[in-house]
Amino acid sequence: MAKVKCTHCNLIFDESAMIIEKINNETCHFCCHGCQGVYHLLRSEGLDTFYDKLGGTTLTPPTNTIQDDLEKFDLDGFRNKYVKILPDGTNEINLIIEGIHCSACVWLNEKVLHKTDGIIEATINYTNNKAKVIWDNEVIDLSQIIQTIRSIGYDAFPYDPALQEERAVKTRRDYYARILVAVFGMMNIMWIAIAQYAGYFSGIEQKFKDILNVAEFVLATPVLFYSGWVFYRGAYFGYRNRIVNMDTLVAAGATLAYIYSIYAMVSRHGEVYFDSVVMIITFVLVGKYLEVLSKKHAVDTLDLLTSTIPTEVMVVRDGVKSLIAVENIAIDDIIEVKAGEKIVIDGIITDGAGSFDQSSLTGESIPVHKQTGDAILSGSICLDSVVQYKATKDASNSLLHSIVNLLEESMTKKPKIEQLANSISGYFSVAILTIAIATFAGWYLYDGNFEKALIISISVIVIACPCALGLATPMSTLVGISVAAKRGILFKEATFLETMAKSTMVAIDKTGTITEGKPSVVNAAIHKEFDHQLLYSLVASSNHPISQGVKRYLEDHNDNLQELKLKEMQTLQAKGVIARYNTQLLAGGNSALMEELGIKTTFSSKHSLFFFAIDGILVASFELSDKLRAGAKEAIEKLKSMNLKISMLTGDHALSANAIAKEAGIDNVYDNLLPQDKAALIDKFHDKKEIVIMVGDGINDSIALAKADIAIAMGSGADIAISVSDVVLLDEKPQKITEAYRISKRTYQAIKENLGFSIVYNIIAVPLAVMGFVYPLVAALSMSLSSLVVVGNSIRIKSIKLDKGDKNE
Amino acid sequence: MSSNIMILMLSVSTFLGALGLVALLWGLKTGQFDDQSKFIDGARYDNEEELRDAVMMEKKKKAQKEKREKEKNYRPAD
Repeated sequence: MAKVKCTHCNLIFDESAMIIEKINNETCHFCCHGCQGVYHLLRSEGLDTFYDKLGGTTLTPPTNTIQDDLEKFDLDGFRNKYVKILPDGTNEINLIIEGIHCSACVWLNEKVLHKTDGIIEATINYTNNKAKVIWDNEVIDLSQIIQTIRSIGYDAFPYDPALQEERAVKTRRDYYARILVAVFGMMNIMWIAIAQYAGYFSGIEQKFKDILNVAEFVLATPVLFYSGWVFYRGAYFGYRNRIVNMDTLVAAGATLAYIYSIYAMVSRHGEVYFDSVVMIITFVLVGKYLEVLSKKHAVDTLDLLTSTIPTEVMVVRDGVKSLIAVENIAIDDIIEVKAGEKIVIDGIITDGAGSFDQSSLTGESIPVHKQTGDAILSGSICLDSVVQYKATKDASNSLLHSIVNLLEESMTKKPKIEQLANSISGYFSVAILTIAIATFAGWYLYDGNFEKALIISISVIVIACPCALGLATPMSTLVGISVAAKRGILFKEATFLETMAKSTMVAIDKTGTITEGKPSVVNAAIHKEFDHQLLYSLVASSNHPISQGVKRYLEDHNDNLQELKLKEMQTLQAKGVIARYNTQLLAGGNSALMEELGIKTTFSSKHSLFFFAIDGILVASFELSDKLRAGAKEAIEKLKSMNLKISMLTGDHALSANAIAKEAGIDNVYDNLLPQDKAALIDKFHDKKEIVIMVGDGINDSIALAKADIAIAMGSGADIAISVSDVVLLDEKPQKITEAYRISKRTYQAIKENLGFSIVYNIIAVPLAVMGFVYPLVAALSMSLSSLVVVGNSIRIKSIKLDKGDKNE
Repeated sequence: MSSNIMILMLSVSTFLGALGLVALLWGLKTGQFDDQSKFIDGARYDNEEELRDAVMMEKKKKAQKEKREKEKNYRPAD
């Protein structure tokens, strides 16, 4: 059968399964009525150029389910929470649009919203799918706007940007403007400075020098006071808290050099240092900006997580069902959840039974069956059937909310070692400033020449200030980061290399980190020959991880598998799938399903079992289990040999956790852990003075990741896990953990060498400067020479020997 | 070379550069650089239709403003 693309969503399906329609002599194929509807809508609105813009990108077909939650958008409680009334009487809301795949989707959404009456402004950010809509409430209701977005196959959730995002966006813009001014000033001063340097060597008339000096002064002034404002502010806060920090040194150094340069300019005596003022400000500012950027990204993903939390739940009081805001739910209220809904409040099932997807809590992708009397946790998703349960906690104490709160908290206060580094540079700053002042006082008293004393004390600051010591760490980490990036290891910030090198312990998540995270067939038995395509078609229809595991197995062992058209497909949650092909009855599932069909199974195993029966006769059985990732064992051995303690933290039950741990060679296993238990364990390790590396991949690991000193996330993991972590492994091989550790060790060594060198340099150079032997030119020369030594030593990191074979270069 | 020429060259070139800087800062303030990918795609979707769309939005905003002005005037003076 031919496979064709759906005209709307570009997904490929069998021609026979599709809706075929002739429009203007063109044959269109649709995979579902949803796609067909959207296609017709776009054509009638004259928006079919969307498809030219879309190109080959595939879309998610619009869901056919009727959502009856529209009226909630016009409720007062909802409006108070999310809608902002602007001073000119219009309303503003921030939405996250779901289903955006490409820039054409953004174009389409904006276009449709623009065409709608009453909408005054609609802008959608492509990078984070956030939209800002301003509308006139007298012309259109919010529910109609949401309906418009849904009608073209997307969905929208409101979110509250007031808390973190607005602030993050504002600081980002602010920094960017300051950097623009600084870079502009720096570039222009540099070419003027070239003339100055040339003049220094080949002679220059004083009147030309004056002109150049004034030009530099004009350019440097906005840079120092506008771009450098952050450092003055930082120094001021430091002063209020009685701390001398890096900001103080930058501000003091830059200001002194600036004041001295003005003096030199006015007195027409000596050299000006406006170029160094601007350079110091610009480079340090760019470094700070990078930090702001990474924080913004984390906020974006956190908003996405909270936006999917329902704001209202169905409560049954005295037999009457009503939608009530989550905040107003009291303990002991009876709440009803339908299939596909997310649980927001912890509770105990009072009526009904069903399967729950707890993957965001435990990391396990296999649904758990729960019945009356079982506890259900917020964050899990009800997969089938309607269940009523009694709330045992209110919204703010429920698991889901506490996870979100913990994450918000840990994101705002993270660095530990960084503070230490800052305090050391603080001492250095104090020492240099004191020496400079003492030098000035000493020379003035000894010589009586104010100008000479000032020049000498400035040269002390210039020679010591940023170069060798300032470059020692960033240069090495820069090289270390690039070496790591070439091998698929992304360090998000330079300081993480240093922290990682000092770590003493590794905590690893099980599912998805050292195992593949999806069950695969370990044992297959064919009891009676049958057409493999039957089984293939059956398992392909289910998204259950076990079915997918069997499907992969069949694909690996058979060629040319075709999907057959099955009828009367029925999914029995927590049991399996049954369907009909011609006259044959096909059934695939666990032993409970077989029992129900009256088929006897005599197998038992510690792994999950999947049986396949045709017309009531068992023809095949499969054993599936989660496999260890290739190389996991070797990687753990290596980590052990590098004197790191290793523990495994998992949400899985003890039996399978211990089996995997034994296979991987891990001795310390902590099982049955909820997300906050993992985080508590990390805290406990901290109490024992361990510096902990946490490796994980899921939402369930994210708090622990945020708490750990170094968090490593697998590249395919949950967005939230990646955004709170410090290191991301792109190709997910466990041996990359070892490599990351080794690279950071090597980098740390280079940092220590560099620091040692620059300390020796300062010990020699500063006294010389104090004694007045250093002229500006000599200071400049020795500064660049010392920087060169540091740079050269850092480049040596590249020669680190790592395992051959899997080099990505 | 006279010093006047030099002053002229320096001031003119710095002024031109500063104009560019001001334009950049204005663009930043009005949010034109907030979304990098959209900023780049802007060139791909730039045609007559988009222009008409933009004009339509301007008109809508204007209409809203006028409506508000009217409402204000309706209010009895106190």
